[in-house]
Amino acid sequence: MLKISNFSNSILSNIDFHIKEDENLIILGSNGAGKSTLAKVLCGITYSDSVELFSQNLSELSAKQRAQFINYIPPKLEIFDEYISLYEYLELSKLYSELSIQDAISLLGLDELKEKHCIKLSSGEQQLSMLASSLLHNAKLTIFDEPTSNLDPQKTLNVYNILKSDKLQNRIIITHDLNLAYKLGYKILYLQNGKIEFFDKSEKFFEEANLYKIFGSSIKHVDDYFMVNL
Amino acid sequence: MKYIFIIISLLIMAVAPFYGQIEISLSNINNISAMDHKLFWDLRLPRVIVAFFTGAILGLSGLLFQSLFRNPMSTPFTLGVASGATLGTAFAIVFGFISMTAMFGFFGAILTVVILFSITSRLKAYETSSLLLVGIALSFFYSAALMILFYLSDETQSYEIVRFTMGSLDVVGLKHTIPIVLTSILLLVLSINYQREIKLLLTSYDNAFLKGIEVKKINTILLISVSIGIGVAVSITGPIGFVGLIVPHILKTIYKKSADKLLHVTFFYSGIFLVLCDLISRNIGTASDIPIGVITAFLGGPFFIYLLIRRKKV
Repeated sequence: MLKISNFSNSILSNIDFHIKEDENLIILGSNGAGKSTLAKVLCGITYSDSVELFSQNLSELSAKQRAQFINYIPPKLEIFDEYISLYEYLELSKLYSELSIQDAISLLGLDELKEKHCIKLSSGEQQLSMLASSLLHNAKLTIFDEPTSNLDPQKTLNVYNILKSDKLQNRIIITHDLNLAYKLGYKILYLQNGKIEFFDKSEKFFEEANLYKIFGSSIKHVDDYFMVNL
Repeated sequence: MKYIFIIISLLIMAVAPFYGQIEISLSNINNISAMDHKLFWDLRLPRVIVAFFTGAILGLSGLLFQSLFRNPMSTPFTLGVASGATLGTAFAIVFGFISMTAMFGFFGAILTVVILFSITSRLKAYETSSLLLVGIALSFFYSAALMILFYLSDETQSYEIVRFTMGSLDVVGLKHTIPIVLTSILLLVLSINYQREIKLLLTSYDNAFLKGIEVKKINTILLISVSIGIGVAVSITGPIGFVGLIVPHILKTIYKKSADKLLHVTFFYSGIFLVLCDLISRNIGTASDIPIGVITAFLGGPFFIYLLIRRKKV
């Protein structure tokens, strides 16, 4: 479904992997490892001819086709015009979903905010708005860049339930949250200094020896949870 | 409230042709033998029409430039497009292409946009403040070139250039209003046609891209069309500054809506604004009218500074 062959730029080197139709992916990696850079290459914001989506070269797709195939949800909402309301923003995102705008708003608990201007929303609210937009866009493959980084525990749980639901088609999730990665159980790609350090099944990644190799003693495994060893 | 503004605007439009150094009485305009008849149909009415549609082009262009270049201070004037058109026109005056001033003005505008474009593509990810600096540098360059043209021109030519750079809405005969009317309406129709694309560009370029917009193509179409509009407007009326800067800003603070919803509103009120400025310029002058560019700059200059100060605070 997604294939990138031998891609290098100033941050990434020799990125080469593919995922199949029935697979989703988690991308992990330390700060500055190149996760977002990779995401931008995969969705075409950064131009390259090394990406293949559904057996077609990304750089040769028409703009419409590309939007149907792939979407990227950045960690922060960027809106230039200060007077675009949340509802208008979601209107613009409604492309290939059966879901109504109102459905998406209710799913993420944004009812009271829909008339508010996007730039006045808090960072957590903006994150939820972008999630709602991803549901409405409903691309075949959506890349989420740290979708839970600004959320409180309840909202994180809500978003987790949406991320694993069938409201989305294929998904790639970039995160620092090992619990999220573990519970979702998707295949894991670990980036370090722009290189793929690990690319395999979730179970293998969460083996003690592998975790120790990557995180040293900074991660503690308690019951079924992974926490930062403060 | 909205309707009151519209009514006041229409009233301004309706009375504008009748006031000036000579007042025209309504009863005379259909009387072919009266002086008022000629004055009204050949001078005043064309003038008001040109004022309205020029204002409309300038305002709409300002709004589009502000949106596409992501900077509240970028207008065809601050980015040097209008100076390019002015230089082109002055060139035509000095080198004896009087009949082709419009075309030269148009080329000046397009050339500037090409320069701006080639520079933007070298800048990293739409560094709009640097673009603004480039625009200012271009404007200086153009005024230096304009000085050289002055140096090369004879007395009548330099007078013509001076008059031209101050902006003037003098048009004789209704048929001369046709180019500006057509251009401005085409620009409005085109921008409304791209309303959704413009709105997506107003979120962010990345978002527009991900939603399947051909960002470069749309940007190019819009900016080239705006430049054509500015080229036509400047070649007919000379550079009239500040309309494109202040009117969109004022409307944004009043309406509190995103730019894509203000396309027709800006078109209308920018037109009215220029008609009003023209009305002022025709009625406070003594021997001759005060050039329209003087009035708009007088209102616009302080407003521009106010904007700068307010931006700092935010």
